[in-house]
Amino acid sequence: MNIASRREIFRTQGISKAFGSVVALNDVSLVVYENEIVGLVGDNGAGKSTLIKIIAGNHQPDNGELFIDGERVRFTSPVDARDAGIETVYQDLGLCENLDSVANFFIGRELFRKILGFHVLRKAAMENQTIDVINEMGINIPSVREKVEFLSGGQRQAIALAKFVAWKRKLILLDEPTAALGVREARNALDLIHNLGKEKGMATIMVAHNLEQVFSVVDRIVVLRHGEVVGTREKEQTTKDEIVRLITGAGLVNENTDAEGGKQEYMKEIQT
Amino acid sequence: MTSIASESPSVRNLSRTKLYIRKVLDNLVWIILVVSLIVFSITIDGYLSTRNFINIIYHSVFIGILAIAETYCVIGGQLDLSIESTTAFSALLAAWLMGASRFTSGMHLNPLYTILIVMAFGCLIGFINSRLVVKLKIEAFLVTLAMYITIRGLALWLTGGKGVSQLPDTFRLLDTIKISTIPLMVFILLLFYGFFQFLLTNTQFGRHLFVVGGNKDAAYKHGIKVDSVLTRLFILSGAIAAFTGLLMAARADGATAGAATWFLFDVLAAIVIGGVSLRGGVGSLVGVLAGVLLLSSIRSALNIVAISPFISDVVRGLLVLFAIILDSVKRMIR
Repeated sequence: MNIASRREIFRTQGISKAFGSVVALNDVSLVVYENEIVGLVGDNGAGKSTLIKIIAGNHQPDNGELFIDGERVRFTSPVDARDAGIETVYQDLGLCENLDSVANFFIGRELFRKILGFHVLRKAAMENQTIDVINEMGINIPSVREKVEFLSGGQRQAIALAKFVAWKRKLILLDEPTAALGVREARNALDLIHNLGKEKGMATIMVAHNLEQVFSVVDRIVVLRHGEVVGTREKEQTTKDEIVRLITGAGLVNENTDAEGGKQEYMKEIQT
Repeated sequence: MTSIASESPSVRNLSRTKLYIRKVLDNLVWIILVVSLIVFSITIDGYLSTRNFINIIYHSVFIGILAIAETYCVIGGQLDLSIESTTAFSALLAAWLMGASRFTSGMHLNPLYTILIVMAFGCLIGFINSRLVVKLKIEAFLVTLAMYITIRGLALWLTGGKGVSQLPDTFRLLDTIKISTIPLMVFILLLFYGFFQFLLTNTQFGRHLFVVGGNKDAAYKHGIKVDSVLTRLFILSGAIAAFTGLLMAARADGATAGAATWFLFDVLAAIVIGGVSLRGGVGSLVGVLAGVLLLSSIRSALNIVAISPFISDVVRGLLVLFAIILDSVKRMIR
């Protein structure tokens, strides 16, 4: 794909964050383009979680900036990030087990009409919209009126993802989306994520540990180690081994050079 | 085209029987109510009569209306233990403002102004509760427990144990009016249940209560103004408690500082029996109404049979225990 023709959806520039004396992130810059799925990988403690939290608005960076569609943005809370078009799907999925799929679909954005000052829910409309999206995405759920606690892990994951597709978000952050799923469910979820990225034209950042899964879905991989970007690779141009080496830092002649080299390569990409 | 087929047997293989059993368990309280009424009617002379049934509902009014407030709070993941004291204080306040004899302000205030002042008092208590819970982030249980004790104490202290009586006839109309021999309060009760159940299941506020009670974290993340929801919740609860106090003053033609004692336990018993989960996010006023009526039916039966009045408490306790066990059984059926 011609890099120059890709539209930039989201960018971080020089993000740094420290908690007390512990440096979680140091000068992290990355870009995500339209229709692209970026895999964010790294060992435990590499800073993936912190970076995601900053992008999602949970933390504020000490230094650096965020850009959406080329415009600088600042988030003081997750609500800001959400309003700007960023959605995060956490490991716990953010679902209400005590409610059905329709209700979960519309949390915080219920459709209603004003009657005598009350916000009366438009239940039929919400149900229809939910069914439409679920069918469109090919999700198999016996009934949208079933409480979510009775759905399987894969179905819940699907609902959580479907929410964001339907609401036309700009950037989706997936935090270990398959962590709680079995092999087959994980496969289905990954297919869904892949289709979301391609068909719906959004940008996606996926944090994951399982490189097998990462390779099966993403277009580009960004590797973090000790809070820094140590390399970005187009999936087609790299191997799992290389990524593992970047993650662990093993087998590198000069660690700094590699990180620098990675950064330079990357800056070139951004400037194109 | 992606298809997320159902992996685990949880939904696909959920047999018709299981779904049916779940449906039955959810509405068990109504079944128990009907069965109890039948049993009582057969075994107790004079139980089966319109007069008695209307009486049962009439004596459910106070607990019933308070149960609405408590149901809302528990569904929202909170608890309001102060409603009993707010009710008592409201009854006293109303009586003091309007009353003619004994511990009275002598103001003989117009009932309409009295109602406004008392309702404002209820909202104020609710507002104070909400500030402590939302701003200071203290557990609702603790906040309302403290209020429960404090307000009751205030009532006792301010009145010195004296009561007020002789309220204006216009105010007492709330209790004396009958529509084709059915007391107005019965209609008020049913109307309240109808209205508040609608509010709970068909409005944004009700839906947000379920979300906050089910997963507070998710509520925040989805942009729901949780603080606003909880504030409105506690104010509503206080207002309903105050309104109940007004009704009590009307029926008793006055009030004493000991009004509404032990109501809280009846209310909690009723809502648990009615299927409201104390963990939050689950419940329906339909079930709660059955719970309230069930408690009242049993008390009525025990009264007629004239067994020791304390057996009533034992029965109530057993029912609550049964309801809690039922809740666990329901969860095990998953």
